[in-house]
Amino acid sequence: MKFVCRKCDTFMLFEKLESPAEASLGITFECPECGSRFSMVTNPGETSMVQALGVKLGGRTAPAEPMELTRETLKEPNVAEATTEAASATGSGGKCPFSSMISGMQQPGLQMEWSREALERMEKVPAFVKPMLQASVESYARNSGITLITPAVMEASKNASSDMAWAPEAERRLENIPSFIRPMARKEIERMARDRGLTTVTAALMDEAKEKFMSMGI
Amino acid sequence: MAEEKDLKTILSQLKYRDDAKVQEQIVDQLLQVKTRMGRIRRKILVMSGKGGVGKSMVTVNLALAFARVGHKVGILDVDLNGPCVPAMLGLKGQRFTIAEEGALPPIGPLGMKIASMEFLLQPDAPVRWKGPMELSPVWLGLQEMSVIREFLADIAWGELDYLFTDLPPGAAADKPPVLAGYLPELDGAVIVTIPSEVATQVVKKSISYARDVGIKVLGLIENMSGTVCHRCGAEEPLFSGDAERIAKEMEVPFLGRVPFDRALGGAADRGEPLLDPEQPSVGHFAQIAERLTQALEFKKLMATRL
Repeated sequence: MKFVCRKCDTFMLFEKLESPAEASLGITFECPECGSRFSMVTNPGETSMVQALGVKLGGRTAPAEPMELTRETLKEPNVAEATTEAASATGSGGKCPFSSMISGMQQPGLQMEWSREALERMEKVPAFVKPMLQASVESYARNSGITLITPAVMEASKNASSDMAWAPEAERRLENIPSFIRPMARKEIERMARDRGLTTVTAALMDEAKEKFMSMGI
Repeated sequence: MAEEKDLKTILSQLKYRDDAKVQEQIVDQLLQVKTRMGRIRRKILVMSGKGGVGKSMVTVNLALAFARVGHKVGILDVDLNGPCVPAMLGLKGQRFTIAEEGALPPIGPLGMKIASMEFLLQPDAPVRWKGPMELSPVWLGLQEMSVIREFLADIAWGELDYLFTDLPPGAAADKPPVLAGYLPELDGAVIVTIPSEVATQVVKKSISYARDVGIKVLGLIENMSGTVCHRCGAEEPLFSGDAERIAKEMEVPFLGRVPFDRALGGAADRGEPLLDPEQPSVGHFAQIAERLTQALEFKKLMATRL
């Protein structure tokens, strides 16, 4: 959440965090230009919501301890302490409910034209699933020559595989896969076909799939 | 007096600053999940749309089937309010040990690493959070999401071949998308059902829901397929439905059937899981594990058999 100073047209900055009453947070913001300050005070529900994020407003002075949030917010935690030194995190990347929110701050909006009804339907999807669903629907739309995405297009994209034709040889070769996982293999091949703009699964595509999976060493 | 600009114009000219350092911490949390989960080769959810179908029982015995053939296996019990995996594995009363490398999970049969809310609770105590429960709709969902994030990020799983995550009943709500969001490299979900008409109708919804939120359905397991008379040995169906038909209809692999077995149920109640490969139920789970392995590696099969 950000606040804007309407006198200076700039973001106000986090200044400090206090606890003015039980189960309440007082968060003070300051305009870096005119120095105006105000404090936001949370009610118990809002306080719990902020705490449930597992972050310390203003930044941490020490790394989080293992299971810190869970242990701190359980009324009667029960753990054995071997040492209190926390594990450190390394690595890069990652994707979770918040990553789409963060990337959404940087890249708002959809690339293809979406109808209002389609956007409303998309709003009901969990935020972190949206990029995947959006890519899938847009891929289907592109391959079908569709430029406006409507709820009907979204529905059609879900059932797109049923429209794919199979050459007899490709169909015969699919039978080499054990029957109980054949639907997975069929979907994978059809996905490859759609990515290439094909409407029929051919033996040549099967060769390509085979080569692809061989080269992946899986 | 200067005309006040609209907010859209102002925001287009401002650069976002993470001055409260919230974004930075959330990114750190995600990196921790990624680092920890990066050491686990296969991550599988076990879910069902309906409660009481034996999901935890299937999770435990499926995990044991993989551990029995030498794999390093972990079970994450994210049924936060009704955890029962520890009791089935004889781990009731155990606790996490907080150490430098993270929360050390108790070790169960065949060396399996187990994480459960049960290990953070006092004996027989329910989960009680400190927040105002009358306002729980405001914060409880976020709290549970963060607890799951900590289970993924802070448990010292080490290197594992398989991590099975047992979801709470009625899982077609918030937990699967939360886990899928945290685990983009999730291998998929195994869905458990019983062959009753009511349960199979619900399982169809679960399959559709999993697909809607981008989780691959690795297969369907029919639990309580029938019962064997302990007097005469005759096998009889318990229900009139057929999960294999549903699997075919929904185009998901059918991984197998597990008949109701008093020996299996009794073993779980005693916290002494069946390990003897001569036991019929152990054999059923071994076959299901074999099929699940094929479903997980279907691309390898495509590379060799197409």
